[in-house]
Amino acid sequence: MKIAVCIKQVPTRDWQPRANEDRTWVRDQDASFELNEPDAYALEEGLRLKEKHGGEVVVCSAGPARVAQALREALARGADRAIHVEDDALAQGDAFAVAGALAFAMRDEQFDLVLTGLQSDDQGFAQTGVVLAGTLGIASATIIMEVDVRPGAVRVKRELEGGWFQFVTLPLPAVLTIQSGINQLRYATLKGIMSAKKKEIRKVAPPAGVPSRQRIISLYVPEKKKRTQMLAGTAAEAAGQLITKLRDEARVIS
Amino acid sequence: MILVIAEQQQGTLNRSSLETVAAAQQTGADVTVAVLGADVSMVTPALALAKVSEVIAVQAPALEAYTLDGFVAALVQVVQAEKPDHVFLPHTYQTRDFAPALAVALGMALVTDCVAARWQDGALVAVRPMFQGRLYADVAPTGAALVTFQIGAVRADSLVPGATPAPIRIATIAIDASAIRQQPEAPFREAKQAVDLTQAERIVSVGRGIKDQDKIELARQLASAMGAELGASRPICDAGWLPMDRQVGSSGQTVAPKLYLALGISGAIQHLVGMKGARTIVAINKDPEAPIFEVADYGIVGDLFEIVPALIKELQG
Amino acid sequence: MHPVEVWLFRIVVLAFAAAFAAQIATRLRLFLRASNNLRVPDGESGVRLWRVVREVVFQSRTIAERPLVGLAHLGVFWGFCAFALFTGVEFLRGLGGPDLTRTEWFGTYALVLVPFAFAVLVGISGLIVRRVFVRPPALGDHLSKESVLIGFFILTLMVTFLLDFVLAEGTGARINWWVHALVILSFMAVIPGSKHFHLLVSPLTVYLRSSTLGTVPNLDFEREQVGLETLKDVERKQVLDAFTCVECGRCQDNCPAHATGKRLNPKTLILQNEDALLAGNLDVKLAEVFDASVLWQCTTCGACENQCPVGVEHLPLVVGARRGLVSNGDAPDALGAVYNHLERRGNIWGLGADLRQKFVQSAGLEIFDATRHQYLMWLGCAGAFEADFQKSLRSLFEILRSRGVTFGVLARERCTGDVAKRTGNEYQFQELARANIDDFKAAGVTRILTSCPHCLRTIGVDYKEFGYAVEIVHSSALVAAITRDVSVPVAGTVTFHDPCYLGRYSGITEEPRALLQRFGASVAEPVRHGANPFCCGAGGGLLFEEHEDGRRISQERLEQLLSTGATTIVTACPFCSIMLKGAQASANSTAEFVDLMTFVEGRLKTVS
Repeated sequence: MKIAVCIKQVPTRDWQPRANEDRTWVRDQDASFELNEPDAYALEEGLRLKEKHGGEVVVCSAGPARVAQALREALARGADRAIHVEDDALAQGDAFAVAGALAFAMRDEQFDLVLTGLQSDDQGFAQTGVVLAGTLGIASATIIMEVDVRPGAVRVKRELEGGWFQFVTLPLPAVLTIQSGINQLRYATLKGIMSAKKKEIRKVAPPAGVPSRQRIISLYVPEKKKRTQMLAGTAAEAAGQLITKLRDEARVIS
Repeated sequence: MILVIAEQQQGTLNRSSLETVAAAQQTGADVTVAVLGADVSMVTPALALAKVSEVIAVQAPALEAYTLDGFVAALVQVVQAEKPDHVFLPHTYQTRDFAPALAVALGMALVTDCVAARWQDGALVAVRPMFQGRLYADVAPTGAALVTFQIGAVRADSLVPGATPAPIRIATIAIDASAIRQQPEAPFREAKQAVDLTQAERIVSVGRGIKDQDKIELARQLASAMGAELGASRPICDAGWLPMDRQVGSSGQTVAPKLYLALGISGAIQHLVGMKGARTIVAINKDPEAPIFEVADYGIVGDLFEIVPALIKELQG
Repeated sequence: MHPVEVWLFRIVVLAFAAAFAAQIATRLRLFLRASNNLRVPDGESGVRLWRVVREVVFQSRTIAERPLVGLAHLGVFWGFCAFALFTGVEFLRGLGGPDLTRTEWFGTYALVLVPFAFAVLVGISGLIVRRVFVRPPALGDHLSKESVLIGFFILTLMVTFLLDFVLAEGTGARINWWVHALVILSFMAVIPGSKHFHLLVSPLTVYLRSSTLGTVPNLDFEREQVGLETLKDVERKQVLDAFTCVECGRCQDNCPAHATGKRLNPKTLILQNEDALLAGNLDVKLAEVFDASVLWQCTTCGACENQCPVGVEHLPLVVGARRGLVSNGDAPDALGAVYNHLERRGNIWGLGADLRQKFVQSAGLEIFDATRHQYLMWLGCAGAFEADFQKSLRSLFEILRSRGVTFGVLARERCTGDVAKRTGNEYQFQELARANIDDFKAAGVTRILTSCPHCLRTIGVDYKEFGYAVEIVHSSALVAAITRDVSVPVAGTVTFHDPCYLGRYSGITEEPRALLQRFGASVAEPVRHGANPFCCGAGGGLLFEEHEDGRRISQERLEQLLSTGATTIVTACPFCSIMLKGAQASANSTAEFVDLMTFVEGRLKTVS
């Protein structure tokens, strides 16, 4: 099976983002970067499928030169080779720009399956995988918990709201966006890291004429900050306040 | 005009659809609502009660069950016929599945997971969180856009009702069922052979503060009243008061429910790492210094044997 | 002697010598082909020679741990040495060389040997009785026939020696001589293949043993080292250890895993290594030689290595084998999760840096400035995230401030890499270490203060491998030094649980006790304490593995501490505290736990 796993390099979760001068992007010169965690689950799933069915896992990403680090991490975990669409501007690109770049780089590869994470930890669009499928003209399914490969098709388990699930069968080639936490992520082993140095990262220039379809006009810090609200009063009063807050503020009960 | 795509499952309207209609109303534009299915007559009346220009029933046998291809094919026709300025949808699992494909098919922009939208200088501006909610962004799409709204971001009770019910029209669309690539099976709930706290949406968890094995019944009642699963910290499971599959902690289960209610749990680090991913954490403990309050969104310092019955009463009353 | 006898003797000696040489050759080959990890740091050779004199010549370790047995062994050993010349002279005669047995000095020498012979007789008889009848658990369930045989050899040698004085010249005396000679030759032939090989190897292994407990050098990635995967990778010291092991069982006796019914047995590991090496198939995986699951039961407390009288180093073997497993992705799931946490968030629990920041702010900590602060306060993962331990740190800060000690913290910390190092994830350890060292250098750090014994060891010792040496002190030592003027009347009894990484690894046992006594506590000692405590069960990555075979190590230790009768247990390590409190919660006991710093601060308040 020829499996592509599309990954994104994002600033580490700990990093405190600050808007730049004109508030159209963040000041990421001082940020540390890591492999987007949901994509790590997609990679893990890809590696497991390769172990089961044979073939290769090709990890793909679009972005500045630093993205190569995330690709090496993926190679160290077991991916066979990588494709890097190198372009500084794509770090801020929306799903259409990024998916367009990836589709362009992947056009000659004839992948059977393309896996991506659910969404990225930085922009959080949750679109790129499905846009990629649309651009490549292949089927897609999202929020996938289980992947069962059949001849020419794949039967997947979709997660639905409220504890419901659904099995769907779609023809290969297909794009699947993988739910986080469905498997235990393998760590990069010493041997993996050593062999990653010798694996190929093919650099591709970005295609012309695939613009973003949205732009940020202002980035700012939201008013609400996370603080513990202590509810006081008698047991009945505190209980009443809590239920109201859970219902209306946090919206976790109906 | 803003076209809102409402969502229904087997004759039940998804509550977030009403939130989306409210969001569309709040931009000041005219609102039209469309809902897809084989027969949506059970839900269109509810939609028609809102202050909207019209409700479109998009019906076709191929739309009985949700498929990406079926819904995209139908919506392409509806959008091309209705020519809205923008299309609003609730950011549900179903929307996340097809909206990007619809955007590709229509050549439209797609702004997802928004908390608000407004007109600014004659164009639509949508507001969405970025970097795990640490920053918010005002986003301007290029041209007509699909905009999806975060569940719960807009309050359904802010929906403006219409003076009279809006007209309901059945749209004529043609779908080539043979071109639908997805073959869905019936949705199902998992048969629970074992307790899987990792899938629970709400968890009520007990710790040493519960003091006695029989008092766990109180927690069970609260869990039941809340539609929650019962969890526990390690000492409770070690003592055999609850089975091991209810243990939340670094070795037990790591959970990330929407709501985690910790009763009489101090918040030792081994437990904390198992539940810190919960969206909303409530702590009830008689020790104001308990570490659990560091990570809680809401906290009550007090006697859980008084507070829990009060909570049950509130939920049932 | 009759010429025929001489020739017969020459043939017999040759035969036995050949048998001896062949066995030595096999073992020498195994030793020489193994990679050379033998190194004695500059300037240490003198110290080590002195160690050989103390431990080998004077048997200091064997006597210290088991006095009577040790003395018996000393008697046998010195007797053996004393007889060397005697045997040499007799063999010379037997082989047809000059006969010195009639000389005056030999006659005197032989007489001088008589008390030695008696000493050996008494010693060896006692040891035989112990082995055959008393059957202490340290020696295992299996009665070692080889050991009994050697015992009888030695017995026979002494009896035949003494008989020689009373037997008149004649056939009887000749037979006695031949019996004596044959027993010696048999002994020689048995030595290489038995635990008595330690006679030759132990001076070497005692000399070569590292001066620091648990020395596991960095892997060299340039040379593609990945740890010990197969028997081929076992290094020279480990080969020597396999041959030097005397099967005394001191390591086994002190191992907390073994004591709580787990399959891990440090003695068995060394002997399995030996058996596997001699079996000849060097491509066999260590995971099969040892049974990988056993390797993950080790807390790296070091009690085994610390007790060994012949210089066996168990920890490099365990950690080395773990490296081999981890390099291939075979770490237990619980550790895989920790590695992901370390990689993503730089701490063992995967928590966000903002949580640490909250503590830094609420404790009023300043960011370290080399021009203003005497110490860099190193919080560690527990200090950054564990609420209980943070209480003890707040106490420490109060004490320091009241005594005018200035300190600051780094803006950001990442784990020292202790867990990665002890569980064999060498790549992650080196990444973390290098980054930390860069931070220390950039901030101009010269002195570090920490309350975590694991951080103490890792920064203070393991970071030296990168060429980085910094002064680092544990809070108990610093606070002991700055409160010498205080004295509080005794009020109450406590018991102190020595952390393995503080007491055994770092040798800090007096300072905590001095503090406790100075601040008015009478200290009741549990059975294992000081430099040989019984582990709490957290080390070696086991903090994260909540399933344990047999009894819980933490449970066992808690009971030992409670048996002292004290109702207050004082701890000086965040992980000991987590484990023991966990054991308490599960056991429903009412013992009170207090960290050493909180105890001191509480009492200090009453004085000032």
